[in-house]
Amino acid sequence: MESVISQRIVLQMFRQTGAIVLLAVTLGVLTNLIRPNQLPLVADWSPEAQIAEESRHNMLISIEEARESFFSQKVVFLDARSPELYQASHIQGARNLPWEAVDKYSDAVMADIPQDALIITYCDGESCSLSKDLALDLFYRGYENVRVLVNGWSLWVEHHLPIDRGSVTSSFER
Amino acid sequence: MERFFFNKPLYFFGRLLLGLIFVLASIDKFIHPAAFAEVIYNYQILPDTLINITAVILPWLELISGIFLVLGLWLPGAVFLSNLLLAAFFGSLVFNLARGLNIYCGCFSTSEGATSTLYMYLYVIRDGIFLLLGLYLFSNIFLRKDKAFTAGMKDQP
Repeated sequence: MESVISQRIVLQMFRQTGAIVLLAVTLGVLTNLIRPNQLPLVADWSPEAQIAEESRHNMLISIEEARESFFSQKVVFLDARSPELYQASHIQGARNLPWEAVDKYSDAVMADIPQDALIITYCDGESCSLSKDLALDLFYRGYENVRVLVNGWSLWVEHHLPIDRGSVTSSFER
Repeated sequence: MERFFFNKPLYFFGRLLLGLIFVLASIDKFIHPAAFAEVIYNYQILPDTLINITAVILPWLELISGIFLVLGLWLPGAVFLSNLLLAAFFGSLVFNLARGLNIYCGCFSTSEGATSTLYMYLYVIRDGIFLLLGLYLFSNIFLRKDKAFTAGMKDQP
């Protein structure tokens, strides 16, 4: 009685799959070498490297520096997460500028913030790109003193720094 | 012609459809490799060192598999690989939905009603349908005992 799966076909499958993979690897690596938008085969995907690559300078700020800035009160914290998460809790005094709706909220949130103000964006998680995206957007709009606190929310909470719930209407003071 | 069209139009058109889907899906990844690499990064599954090499190779895997499906070449391999890819995409999405990772920002988000979460569910359904199609083709390739069918495989490596 014939087996349900032919051994012949299974062997064909492995040979052919191997050949296709080999072909894909070869073509992929070779074409990548010669194309204009070449990707380095191994890249640094750390938050520092990602931001440095796009803005050509280091926009990151450490939790210690962020804490100092907070207590010196010459800073605006921008929470790049969704309104729901912001409402649940956020860094004390932070404003919500959700990256997912930045165009809608940007004018209102940034209205009274001067272009040379120290701004710190944050979201949650090492890999979270919201804070980075928001920071770069602000940077290209002329806010030269914007920084990113990577994994900001978790770090802030871990360090038992002041937080708030609900919405805040703070005005920026120099 | 035997190789291309057996007495089963559903299988033939299913193969064409999946092949075309793969070819079309690969195009944007060729045009925007950096953006694709960022998508892979946002899924937060692969280690950082494997991200770019995956972004470089995966579109070719899709393109070649897709073309071979359409042309009816190396079907056991093409169908098997297509199913592997589909299972990987589907599995990655489901995994991230389960752990609450928003693939659009690479961040963990608890907001259930968000548009991005909705999109993730839609993609799960879409990829699930593609996977079912792939499994259907798989069962046709590997479980058919029809001699005329398997005869068409003889002259392939």
